Amino acid sequence: MAQQLVKKDDDRDDEAEYSPFMGIEKGAVLQEARVFNDPQLDARRCSQVITKLLYLLNQGETFTKTEATEVFFAVTKLFQSKDMGLRRMVYLMIKEISPSADEVIIVTSSLMKDMNSKIDMYRANAIRVLCRITDGTLLAQIERYLKQAIVDKNPVVASAALVSGIHLLQVIPISFCNSVYFAHPMYATCSFYAPSLQTNPEIVKRWSNEVQEAVQSRAALVQFHALGLLHQIRQNDRLAVSKLVTSLTRGTVRSPLAQCLLIRYTSQVIRESGNNTQPGDRPFYDYLESCLRHKSEMVIFEAARAITELNGVTTRELTPAITVLQLFLSSSKPVLRFAAVRTLNKVAMTHPTSVTNCNIDMESLISDQNRSIATLAITTLLKTGNESSVDRLMKQITNFMSDIADEFKIVVVEAIRSLCQKFPLKYRSLMNFLSNILREEGGFEYKKAIVDSIVILIREIPDAKETGLLHLCEFIEDCEFTYLSTQILHFLGIEGPKTSDPSRYIRFVYNRVHLENATVRAGAVSTLAKFGAAVDELKPRVFVLLRRCLFDSDDEVRDRATLYLNTLGGDGSVVETDKAVKDFLFGTFDIPLVNLETSLKNYVPSEEAFDIDSVPKEVKSQPLAEKKAPGKKPTGLGAPPSGPPSTADSYQRVLSSIPEFANFGNLFKSSEPVELTEAETEYAVNVVKHIFDRHVVFQYNCTNTIPEQLLENVIVIVDNSEADEFSEVFSRPLKSLPYDSPGQIFVAFEKPEGVPTLGKFSNVLKFIVREVDPATGEADDDGVEDEYQLEDLDIVSADYTLKVGVSNFRNAWESIGPDYEREDEYGLGPRESLAEAVNTVINLLGLQPCEGTEVVPPNSRSHTCLLSGVFIGNIKVLVRLSFGLDGPKDVAMKLTVRSEDETVSDAIHEIVASG
Amino acid sequence: MILAVLFANAEGNILIKRFHGVPAEERLHWRSFLVKLGADNLKGVKNEELLVACHKSVYIVYTILGDVSIYVVGKDAYDELALSEVIFTITSAVKDVCGKPPTERRFLDKYGRICLCLDEIVWKGYLENTEKDRIKRLIRLKPPTEF
Repeated sequence: MAQQLVKKDDDRDDEAEYSPFMGIEKGAVLQEARVFNDPQLDARRCSQVITKLLYLLNQGETFTKTEATEVFFAVTKLFQSKDMGLRRMVYLMIKEISPSADEVIIVTSSLMKDMNSKIDMYRANAIRVLCRITDGTLLAQIERYLKQAIVDKNPVVASAALVSGIHLLQVIPISFCNSVYFAHPMYATCSFYAPSLQTNPEIVKRWSNEVQEAVQSRAALVQFHALGLLHQIRQNDRLAVSKLVTSLTRGTVRSPLAQCLLIRYTSQVIRESGNNTQPGDRPFYDYLESCLRHKSEMVIFEAARAITELNGVTTRELTPAITVLQLFLSSSKPVLRFAAVRTLNKVAMTHPTSVTNCNIDMESLISDQNRSIATLAITTLLKTGNESSVDRLMKQITNFMSDIADEFKIVVVEAIRSLCQKFPLKYRSLMNFLSNILREEGGFEYKKAIVDSIVILIREIPDAKETGLLHLCEFIEDCEFTYLSTQILHFLGIEGPKTSDPSRYIRFVYNRVHLENATVRAGAVSTLAKFGAAVDELKPRVFVLLRRCLFDSDDEVRDRATLYLNTLGGDGSVVETDKAVKDFLFGTFDIPLVNLETSLKNYVPSEEAFDIDSVPKEVKSQPLAEKKAPGKKPTGLGAPPSGPPSTADSYQRVLSSIPEFANFGNLFKSSEPVELTEAETEYAVNVVKHIFDRHVVFQYNCTNTIPEQLLENVIVIVDNSEADEFSEVFSRPLKSLPYDSPGQIFVAFEKPEGVPTLGKFSNVLKFIVREVDPATGEADDDGVEDEYQLEDLDIVSADYTLKVGVSNFRNAWESIGPDYEREDEYGLGPRESLAEAVNTVINLLGLQPCEGTEVVPPNSRSHTCLLSGVFIGNIKVLVRLSFGLDGPKDVAMKLTVRSEDETVSDAIHEIVASG
Repeated sequence: MILAVLFANAEGNILIKRFHGVPAEERLHWRSFLVKLGADNLKGVKNEELLVACHKSVYIVYTILGDVSIYVVGKDAYDELALSEVIFTITSAVKDVCGKPPTERRFLDKYGRICLCLDEIVWKGYLENTEKDRIKRLIRLKPPTEF
């Protein structure tokens, strides 16, 4: 028989025609399912029908509610059969169908009977099915049996009960439960089906003693399942988890899977024990280290990874873990190689020198068949490599790049960019590499990643500029992406004229005018004009080229050429272009584009030309505020240096344009806008606080949201009775505030010099309101005086500190020295969590968190946070905050400040003491 | 959690699929993603040679067995090594049921048994059994021999 089968298998072509499910059709199978109702059951036939039903379900077939119910009821009849094979299929089928709450009752008694059967396998399966379909009420009824089953001497029964417990313990949100239910093909069309499964964690939590006993089982899998369940039951009780880990790490765990779980739980306990312990006497480290010598690779790897992920792991602690991972790198099993290189890749980010020893093994992985492994190996090498190995590495990567997918290539390109930033002297070979891969086939994202990298290198490494620009020029000769071509042309226009020989780029740019689509042609015309404006010697030749563009088929290209020819100097002689013209053509608008857009939309074509000066310069606070995201890395073409000015720059410009503020000195800080009105009120007002050494200027950004009103002589009356150290020195009203055209009011106060003076200000908006006819846009002659109460405004301590990060806090701390160090302890009282306390203090001080210390690991009982910044008067200040939980919720804090001035150190303490 | 176990034939048609804790709207995406992953990488791979990949925080271990490709997807505790244990159990059980690395026809012939094996190996996203001999007995409702 076996020989016959083998022979049949060899003839594959014949086989394809005889698929057992060929032509299978739902209706026919449902008809066949009627055999379940036969008084004389044919077990073999019934099993075949169930198999067909399973196949249909796996093929995504959907059953209506009636069909599903009929199948379920028919299947329950099969409990009459004593055939073991069929019974096993019945269990599976019921689980697959997942009957609804009102149907479960039909099968419950049969399953309960099986659960008490003398045949162990009936018990195990009945438990699994019951727990799958049961609800809370039924669970309470069968709890007694389940508790017995957990400690059953048959490991299959015990495992069935334990794994059921794991599932029952998980609280499934109803919505998700629904989606899972309805996603089941059987119920895809049953819109009114409600989930019957309501897990009951409280019941499962009562099984703790039995589960504890099962953890000691001699059966490996029972131990694994029991440990998983016990941890879930106790996961919110840190002491209990700690005790569990302590006892098990001393005892013996038979199953490697359970051992892996134990290592994970141990890591959790180590993490939660916080940073109190000195490196070297870290609890449980010895256990983790001993697991590195376990016979199972899975356990060894788990332990190695746990060690590499320890908080503040030392090189000495890392070494044994790195050694085993290094051995795995040359394993014959791809999964082990992948796991090892993935872990080492992570370690390389924090401890590159520790991974250096593995570089030779890692290099051999570059040719690994599994591209994920090869990519991880390369990116790790790029992180750990030294300057002398760069060239060799590049050679190896070149061969590798041709046969990996774009997403891997992008990872490699980004790693090369970082490497080049790390070793600027190696720019030549790295830039060559980037230009070579730029010529090869690839999708948009990949090409963009390369172009961005080249741009960043050009910006950061002056020597790389000319080569980099030429690479980009060559790229646009054959670039299929309009976006990239226009961005590169724009970049060339900025950087090209500053090079030693700007004329060499003109050919590349002018070629675009002939060979590209209109968008790129228009971009090329602008770039040509930039060269003409910036390099006087080139102007005559550029003019010749621009004149040729006057006959372009596209109006935008022609318009640009005309504009540039008419504004840049008429006849194109070698004369210096007027600065005002340059600013007009290539400078940035000092107005937010959104304001310009609004004004242009409101502009009605008439004899009076559109006046760009009429566009309000008020900065729409929100979008720009978002741009100030901390720690934003320089991007490539997305953010050219000549791009829109930063918020601070634009504030500085606006303020310096007002003569009354001219003698205020340098602007120290401008706050984020503070809303003084509710959203969607008649008048929207926010305020930006500008801090100077001896002055504070409030910039009220006002918007009139009523089309039927025109506001005139708008002022803000500021009451500073709760800020008596401030005295008002100047107020600039707004003459007119038409609908949806924002305007600004400025009020300036004098304050004691260099002191972080605090105060509360109440504000009332006063104005004359004139009715406007929306049809004609004309306002009534008569206006009525009115006022509008605004929210109060506070000057807080954080207004006097600037967030300025330091790259290496420890070095900065040492270099500033202990001369003006001030240290004190504070009780912060009961807090929601440690993280909340840390955030509150960071916000109070308004300083920049360093090295990611603003993130508090979950369940920590202590935390250290490092802050840096500049205090008013441009005094550098560094702060070290040590938090600890004192009692269940009380937070205590030690504040250590170092600064360049003792009064500033004291001031920071003062802020905290009064905050 | 073992998020998915998938069996597909040489053309990428799904033979068996099991998802656990994967929202319904994401399943199709996972199906297509895995089948494409297999089409890109499984050509010329030896039987049972494991391939591994990461997608976001999720691990994928996959292999080929005869005409059938097998994919196992997991996250958290079910990382690449745990999944290799799962897939090893699955391939052993399938070979055991089919007598050798199966052709598609043979796989479909033994479809019911393979579904039962899978039911014994992975239960709602958790690894339940790892030994093929034990699984072989359990699907016939026979107690394990070591007991």
